[in-house]
Amino acid sequence: MQVLAARALAKEYRMGQRSVTALAGVDFTVERGEFVAIMGPSGSGKSTLLHLIGGLDKPSAGDVTLAGQELAGLDDTAVTLLRRRNIGFVFQFYNLLPTLTAEENICLPLLIDGKDLRPYQERLSQLLHLVGLEDRRHHRPEQLSGGEQQRVALVRALITEPAILLADEPTGNLDSKTGLVIMELLRRLCDALTQTIVLVTHDPRTASYANRVVFLRDGRIAHELHIAPEVPLQQNLRSIVAMMQALETEADLVDADTGMPAPDLD
Amino acid sequence: MRLIRLMTLRSLRARPTRWLLSAFGIVLGVATIVAISITNRTALLSVTQLFESTSGRASLVVVPADKAEHGFPETVLRRVREHPEVDIAVPVLHVPTVLVNQSTPAEIDLDFFGTSTGGLLLYGIDTMSDVLVRTYQLRAGRFLGPENSLYEVVLTETFAKDNDIRLGTWIEVVAGNSVELLRVVGLMAKDGPGQLNGGAFGVMPLLAAQRLFYREGKIDQIDVVVSNASASGPRLEQVKEDLQARLGETYVVVYPASQGQRMTQMLGNYQIGLNFLSGIALFVGAFLIFNAFSMNVVERTREYGLLRTIGMTRPQVIRQVLVEAGLLGLGGSGVGSVIGVLLARGLTRAMALLLNQDLARVTVQGDLVVFGGVVGIVVAVLAAVVPAVQAGRITPLEALRVRGAQQTSWVIRRGWLPGIVLLALSTAALIANPFPYDVQFRAGSVVVFFSFAGGALLIPVTVTALERLLRSSISRLYGSSGRLGSANLQRAQARTALTVGALMVGVSMMVIVWAMTDSFKGDLDVWLRGYVGGDLYVTSSLPLGNDIWRRLETLPGVAAVTPVRYFEVTWVKPTGEREEITFMAVDPASYSRVTSFVYTEAMPDEQTALRMLAGGDVVFLSSIMAERSGLRAGDEITLLTRTGARRFTIAAVVLDYYNQGLVVQGSWVDMRRYFRQSGASAFMVKAAPDADAMAVKDEIEQAARRRDQLIIASNAALLQRVNGLMRQAFSMFDVLALISMLVGFFGITNTITMNVTERTREIGMLRCVGMTRAQIVRMVLAEAALMGVIGGVLGLIFGIMLSRIFMLAMTVMSGYRLTYVLGLGRVILAVVVAVAVSQAAALLPSFRAARSRILDAIHYE
Repeated sequence: MQVLAARALAKEYRMGQRSVTALAGVDFTVERGEFVAIMGPSGSGKSTLLHLIGGLDKPSAGDVTLAGQELAGLDDTAVTLLRRRNIGFVFQFYNLLPTLTAEENICLPLLIDGKDLRPYQERLSQLLHLVGLEDRRHHRPEQLSGGEQQRVALVRALITEPAILLADEPTGNLDSKTGLVIMELLRRLCDALTQTIVLVTHDPRTASYANRVVFLRDGRIAHELHIAPEVPLQQNLRSIVAMMQALETEADLVDADTGMPAPDLD
Repeated sequence: MRLIRLMTLRSLRARPTRWLLSAFGIVLGVATIVAISITNRTALLSVTQLFESTSGRASLVVVPADKAEHGFPETVLRRVREHPEVDIAVPVLHVPTVLVNQSTPAEIDLDFFGTSTGGLLLYGIDTMSDVLVRTYQLRAGRFLGPENSLYEVVLTETFAKDNDIRLGTWIEVVAGNSVELLRVVGLMAKDGPGQLNGGAFGVMPLLAAQRLFYREGKIDQIDVVVSNASASGPRLEQVKEDLQARLGETYVVVYPASQGQRMTQMLGNYQIGLNFLSGIALFVGAFLIFNAFSMNVVERTREYGLLRTIGMTRPQVIRQVLVEAGLLGLGGSGVGSVIGVLLARGLTRAMALLLNQDLARVTVQGDLVVFGGVVGIVVAVLAAVVPAVQAGRITPLEALRVRGAQQTSWVIRRGWLPGIVLLALSTAALIANPFPYDVQFRAGSVVVFFSFAGGALLIPVTVTALERLLRSSISRLYGSSGRLGSANLQRAQARTALTVGALMVGVSMMVIVWAMTDSFKGDLDVWLRGYVGGDLYVTSSLPLGNDIWRRLETLPGVAAVTPVRYFEVTWVKPTGEREEITFMAVDPASYSRVTSFVYTEAMPDEQTALRMLAGGDVVFLSSIMAERSGLRAGDEITLLTRTGARRFTIAAVVLDYYNQGLVVQGSWVDMRRYFRQSGASAFMVKAAPDADAMAVKDEIEQAARRRDQLIIASNAALLQRVNGLMRQAFSMFDVLALISMLVGFFGITNTITMNVTERTREIGMLRCVGMTRAQIVRMVLAEAALMGVIGGVLGLIFGIMLSRIFMLAMTVMSGYRLTYVLGLGRVILAVVVAVAVSQAAALLPSFRAARSRILDAIHYE
């Protein structure tokens, strides 16, 4: 079942007199239970793509269908409600409210929705157990380590049972060991809860946990890599790195603006 | 509810200083409103109650229309009693006197714009019938016997105690030129009628009083009790009109409480000032809330962005901010109400001093406390509306940006456009004053609020321009760090604009208070110097006869003596409306030898005006009455005299603030022939050029003080005391200016602290590349100094503009036309104070910035 479909998605930004193309017509779909990593160098448009599919920004052209709803036809309140009930977000900088405890931060989307928290207690305990934070639920963010804070942010994103989880460089602010723990977690969540995940990263090690890796370059999808579930992580990583190198070589040969082969200066 | 508890209360707890500061604004506003409303009501209630309780069961009172102090014939009593609805009508004779051995006050007792000379007030009453109307609470001895001619008296307990008078003894009172004896047969409580004349009161049989004080066959007042069926409502109004028709124009029939009119009228102008104060206090409170919430929104941009990302709708965010404001308003109002009730006690005492009258005890008045509380909450919520909408506008994307990145809002870029429009419209509204009289104050306050808002919108564009202008001076003053500090000002424009706004409000309030008080004091001084002319001011508790005038003139060292006499008259306006004003009678010939009038219109020939006044049928008009009525020199004014309404020609308009400016000056001759008054209220004495004023004072004291019960004051001392009284009356406004500056102080501390926290990493980098701690301090101070100068200059401009407009509005509302005074010293001081406040406020944050460790700072997120 398709959870997300983006068609001919484009985004242009005005910078003074100049306009910059961040995305130039991207077609992109995600099936339920898929774990997709979006990769690409800085300025390739990966974060812009995540913002557009998450309803945080509006495309200049094209449209996005998420959980059966076309975003283009929705007003601000409807998009907000869609985000509240169908999308979970995880950011690089955790973004937890410093005045609330871990549990309160997790339940925030439910409170905002005016939900009774009692029916969610079991899910909350299950998720906290899954991320290993049962004994930290009453701590405030300042009392938690970076990895713990990111795990709280992860549980917050999942508490509403969203159709899709969007993660923007979730390990970008963590040391490599903690980063791997978070990625293990995401993988486990995807398998155990059939949770659909779309993740933006520039780190091949992070991307190696996904089922599918989408490579962006200059606002376009340059390549897609499908990974079979039984393939070991190390092999995934090697394939991703090889693809990145191939794309870099190709980029060196092609002028980014014209799409023509670069002139041979030798 | 849970969301509110989690988000709102936690947020309030997380930033205690800022919220306490905002709540302080509401506490201040609500406390002032509650205190002032309670005080105003207590004062009005006391005045009304005083006259109601002194009149007992009487529903109506008959007094002479011309307010003459020599009363009217007793025979009128019969005409009143003949009315079928009148149950009881009792006569009263007012006898002002003094005890022979009563200690004469060493100095004149000043009340607000008038003088009170103390003394003992005796009522001559019909001993049989009066007790049917009034209740005298006897504390010792007995009440007056049925025989109306006995020389006995019942005094208030407090007066007897103060003057060491015992029951059964004889007291000596001054009656004309002789001394008479009265036997004290009873002592009554200082309650009901006992409250009259501040408790220096007694009653004696009518016949005896008439004989002793040469007032045979005369009375001053009739108290009327009507039959039960007519005691209230339209029936009473009908009886009042019937009686008025029966007695004719020479008498007026009034309700007992309306006798307090002069006192309530006097309170009126003071209350305008107090209401102005409460309006401003509330505005300052609202500004604090606005400021705190705006900063809060800037600081919590990321948090709101996150909430929007995880599904909070715009209305939910707005509601969140407004609930925070409402809670703050609720808390602030609660504390403010308690402080307000306490403050009301102090204010009531101050007002009692100004009125020279005991006021009722202040009680907690539920409706006023609730009103103050509701106003506090509404103002808090209203002040947070704009920040709330701004918070609602934050996009989810802003949660993902790096900390500190801010969008330049429309208000910053284009706010000056609506700012100019608001400012122009409010200025025009304040000058044109199109509001009906009874809503002028409230409408005016709203307009002032809008003009402040307009001014605040102009700040961002002005800050940019002034920063460029002042950049090089700041660099010269603070060195290279100054240049960095100056540039920093443009970085968090919204925050800078708010802080400069807080300072602007503070400085402009200070300038307004200075300009108003200096201008008022300036004019008051000019008037007082002319009004209290000569060298000595001589008055007494008793009317001063011509013989004293002549005796004073013959004393050695005296160059000239002139009498003045004040009494109430009724002014009949062209519309037929009547108003009680003061007639100040002077003897033009001697007056010009001792002092002079302060003419407000150019007088080609002062002597001609004085000659016209001496000729009779002519008055001088106070500038305030001229302003209020539109009358000018050459016009006519109608006053009620003993022989009915009479027109007087206005020969000149003069500066006179006596009785709040409701005064006309007429000649001694007119006073005698039209108003049948005699005797002076005071004499002004001019010492001979070679004589020492103090020696002349001693001379008068030796010659006449004891015999004539005189109170003598040197004009210099009198002026000093009046100025002291003025300072007291205006000190409340100084407190207001101080509070406004405090707002600026907290605003700057808040902003600089936030700036420093936000730039922790940057400051670490600067330290890394070699900036010393002292340089960091200078950089922060330079930024604050620039805010101080800009806030000071803008506040000065705004303050001058608003104070000029206020004066124009005041002229229209109350008739006061003042000469604008704001010295260069004050102008410089305003900017200096603003800069000093900015430096003091930035000191702590700058030290904090300089103290930060480089490694901590560069790792700060």
